[in-house]
Amino acid sequence: MEQIQVGDSNSGGGISRNDSIVVVGASSRFETLPEDCISMVISHTTPRDACVVASVSKAVKSAAQSDLVWETFLPPEYASLVPRSLNCSSKKEVYLSLADDSVLIDDGKKSFWLEKSSGKKCFMLSAMDLTIIWGDSPAYWQWITVPESKFEKVAELRNVCWFEIRGKISCGMLSKKTHYSVYAVFKRTSNRSHGFDHTPVEAEVGFVGKETTKKFVFLEPGDTDSRSGYRYSGVSHAAVSRAFRTRRPWMLFPREEVEAERKVGSRNVEEPKERGDGWREVELGKFYIDNGGCEDGDEIEISVMETQMGHWKSGLIFQGIEIRPVKRQEEEEMVTK
Amino acid sequence: MSKSEKKIVLKSLDNEAFEVEKAVALQSQTIWVMCEDKCVGNEIPLENVTGQILAKVIDYCKKHAVVDGDGDESSEELKNWDTEFTKNMDQSTLFNMILAANYLNIKSLLNLTCQAVADKTKTIDEFHTFLNIENNFTPEEEAQICQENLWAFDD
Repeated sequence: MEQIQVGDSNSGGGISRNDSIVVVGASSRFETLPEDCISMVISHTTPRDACVVASVSKAVKSAAQSDLVWETFLPPEYASLVPRSLNCSSKKEVYLSLADDSVLIDDGKKSFWLEKSSGKKCFMLSAMDLTIIWGDSPAYWQWITVPESKFEKVAELRNVCWFEIRGKISCGMLSKKTHYSVYAVFKRTSNRSHGFDHTPVEAEVGFVGKETTKKFVFLEPGDTDSRSGYRYSGVSHAAVSRAFRTRRPWMLFPREEVEAERKVGSRNVEEPKERGDGWREVELGKFYIDNGGCEDGDEIEISVMETQMGHWKSGLIFQGIEIRPVKRQEEEEMVTK
Repeated sequence: MSKSEKKIVLKSLDNEAFEVEKAVALQSQTIWVMCEDKCVGNEIPLENVTGQILAKVIDYCKKHAVVDGDGDESSEELKNWDTEFTKNMDQSTLFNMILAANYLNIKSLLNLTCQAVADKTKTIDEFHTFLNIENNFTPEEEAQICQENLWAFDD
C-alpha cells in the first residue's frame, strides 16, 4: 500500500490509535452506531432473531422493528402477493400477516405463506392445480367443497384402479439456498378409505429432466392391530427390504411382510401423519434450491401414484401438495449425514 | 487523462494520507459525489475515518477494484478473501468498519461488515456481550416485549 505520512500525525501503534481516536465517537458499543447501521446488522440475521433481539435494549428494539429490517425478510415480489385488503402500518406487520395466514394466489389455485422463523416461501398447490388422471370423470373423482379446505374445490377420490396425481412448481417461485420438503395433504372421506391399507404408493420428486428421488409412502397408517404383528421370517424380511430398495412389484409380497417392513421403519418408506388441522400429510420427497442455480423455466415435478397393484381404491379427499422448508433441526441432521 | 489525475489522496481524521488509484477510491459513493462536484482538489479529507480503519477500507476497495475489472465479481476467490478479511476483526474494528462503510457509502463493504457482526452474535447472550449492550428496559417492559414476540422464543 502506498502510504504517506502527512502533517503532525504522531501515529504510533495502530492499536492505541484505534482506542483513542474512534470513527464518529465512542463506537465500541453497538447502540452508538446509527440506527440504520444497527438495522443493517439485524437484517443479516433471521426474522426470529430480529424479534428476540428487540428485547435487549430500547435502541436495538427500535432498529429491530424498522421497515428497513423487515423489508429484507419479505420476498421482493411480496407487494403483488399481499391482498389489497390487508391493511398494515409496518413491514413487520405485513410479514407477520403473511406468516400467520396464507393468501390465495394464481386465481385461487395455489396458496402462499412465509415460514415464520426464516421468512422462506411456502406454497400449497391445490388439487385444481394438479394433474389428476381420471380427474374429470365423476365416476372416479369428484370436485367438492369442504369448509376445512383453504381452496374452493378439493378432489374426492370415488374409485380408481389407476391412481396418479402429478404437480409442478416453477423453481423461480421458491426461496434460494433452501432445502424443501414436499407433502401430499389429504384426509379420509368418511370413516375409512378402501384399498390404501398395506398399499405402498410410489412418490417421486425432482427437477424436470433431471434425476429424481423415489420412495414409497403410505396414505393409511400401518396395522395397530397386535394380532397381525411381528410374524415374518428373516428371509422374507430381507426379500421385502430388497423390494423396497429396488422397487419391485409389491403384489409378490403378502400383507404381513409389508407391515413388518413398515414396523422396522425403513428409510425408503414414509408414513402419514396427522397435521392437527383436520388433514393428514405424508412426505413425498425433498429437493434443494441453490443460490442462483435456477434457470428460467426450471421446474420441480412431483408425482404420487399406485398403478402396480391396480386394485380399486377409494375414500380419500385431496386438498393439494404442500412445499415448505425442511425444519432446521432436520436440515442439520441432513448435513451431518 | 494524465497520470496524476488517475491518482487521488485520501486524508484520514488523524492526518494520515493514502495515495490510491481513482478507480479504487470511487467505489465510495461519497467520494464519487465529492469528485463529481469538483468541490475538492486531488486531496480528499475524510474527517470521520481514522487512518487505521481507512487503510483497511482501501485494502478492501483495491481488492474489489481489481476483481471487478476482471468482470468476475462473484468469484469464489473474492468471497473467500472477504471472509478472511473480516474473520479476525475484533468487535471495535468491525463497528468502525461499519461506520466507515456507511459514511463512505460503500454498499458491498457495509453488507459484508454487517453480515460479519450478525454471524458473531447467534445467541441473545452473544448479543449482549459481543455487542456490549446494556439492557435499559424495566422488567415490565422487557416482559411485554417478550410477550409480543413470544413465538420467537419457542423452540
